[in-house]
Amino acid sequence: MKNILMKLLALFMLFTFTSALANEHVTADAKMSAHQEETYHTKPFSEMVGGFLKSTGVNAFLNPDPEEMNAHGEEMSDFHKSWGRIIMIIITFFLFWLAIKKGFEPLLLLPIAFGGLLANIPVAGIAGEHGFLGVIYNMGLSNEMFPIIIFMGVGAMTDFGPLLSNPKTALLGGAAQFGIFGTLVGAVALSQAGFVDFTLQQASAISIIGGADGPTSIFIATKLAPELLGAIAVASYSYMAMVPIIQPPIMKALTTDAERKIKMTTLRHVSRLEKLVFPIMVLTLAILVLPESTPLIGAFMFGNFLKESGVVERLNDTLQNSLINIVTIFLGLGVGSKLAADQFLVPDTMFIMALGIIAFSVGTASGVLMAKVMNMFPGHKVNPLIGSAGVSAVPMAARVSNKVGMEYDRSNMLLMHAMGPNVAGVIGSAVAAGVLISLFQ
Amino acid sequence: METNLILEGFKFMGLGMGTVFLFLIIMIVCMNLMSTIIHKFFPEPQPSATPPAQKDNKKIIAAITAAISHHRQG
Repeated sequence: MKNILMKLLALFMLFTFTSALANEHVTADAKMSAHQEETYHTKPFSEMVGGFLKSTGVNAFLNPDPEEMNAHGEEMSDFHKSWGRIIMIIITFFLFWLAIKKGFEPLLLLPIAFGGLLANIPVAGIAGEHGFLGVIYNMGLSNEMFPIIIFMGVGAMTDFGPLLSNPKTALLGGAAQFGIFGTLVGAVALSQAGFVDFTLQQASAISIIGGADGPTSIFIATKLAPELLGAIAVASYSYMAMVPIIQPPIMKALTTDAERKIKMTTLRHVSRLEKLVFPIMVLTLAILVLPESTPLIGAFMFGNFLKESGVVERLNDTLQNSLINIVTIFLGLGVGSKLAADQFLVPDTMFIMALGIIAFSVGTASGVLMAKVMNMFPGHKVNPLIGSAGVSAVPMAARVSNKVGMEYDRSNMLLMHAMGPNVAGVIGSAVAAGVLISLFQ
Repeated sequence: METNLILEGFKFMGLGMGTVFLFLIIMIVCMNLMSTIIHKFFPEPQPSATPPAQKDNKKIIAAITAAISHHRQG
């Protein structure tokens, strides 16, 4: 009993001691909070509710805040703050539907569309300089970092074997770049006619959609016309996904039945050494002819060289899988940040969409026509259906060539033959991009 | 300024397509050159060299088995 009492006493003393110490803290805290309360005015509850209601999204959509600036700190119209955002959010839902239900390049379209959804949220300013989309954009898009990394991954996925075994098909990949420059003329003609006001830089950035190469389009757009990036990227990726719809009618219209049934000679075996020397050779050529194209071609050939070397399987695997996946997420979200209403809901976007599909069609047509021209010369005949694969869109365009070929002759396998112009198209559009950049230096 | 914008576009086109084709043609020439050199000086160890030998082996084995079975029957 005594023992217990002693213990209680000891505890009591301990408590008084600690609470005395704590009391000192409390008084200090009270002073601090009194200091803070000077800035915080107590409000009646009704006013607090009113203030909160003013900060809701519903209110921001209905009564746009006149003070609110866009991602670049510029003025934006009331339409772009209210209904524009709602329309853009509906458009992103439409893009979700395209990606999920229709399978249109979901790997990029989904991140882009979701980025667009986030960029159109009022008040939060996610696409602004300090919002996370803005940070992603500044981290790797405004300095053209992400498209370059994607290019490394694409290089690691590319097999130049079919091109090496039939080098002349590279010409088809060149002809398809006519889509780029044809559209460039179209775009300047449009602004000449007074429909839109595209500068030569903007027209060039739009026309590169015809290269049918996502990373290249983004690379050029951020360099020459960053204000059009959203529309260009969306046009580029959605048309690339629509290659199986856009190309076959053009291919069929330009070829005769006999031409479509041409069988091509089987591809010869390509030695490992050839594949290993090829990336270095192309890079050397790029250095000598057009150094401006070496950021793209250099990254592409770096990835391919790692793959063909056969001694860095881990790096090759990372480039092809984890790295390209991570960067794709960031690239998509960063591009999506440019889907903000004030930048996307402008008349220019409509023209960009129209010019983009023209670029694709012209590229396809000129690839097919080039194959027909090549057949006029002696040598092994080329099936014109593989000409359409000259627009990059690897490997979708090659698959389309194969599919259309099979429609007319079940035994005619064109896939590997079409891969040649397909990968040459990637090199061709990188060269075209280099030319455009060098022209604006 | 206004009038020559389309002309400017055509200039871009000429230079652009010219460069693309020039690049690809040089590339094709180099590719052909490279494969000729590689096939001449660094021929790959022919993988087709072994299968015929195996075929021969099989033939020999078949002949031997046939001979043995013939001998046994005889």
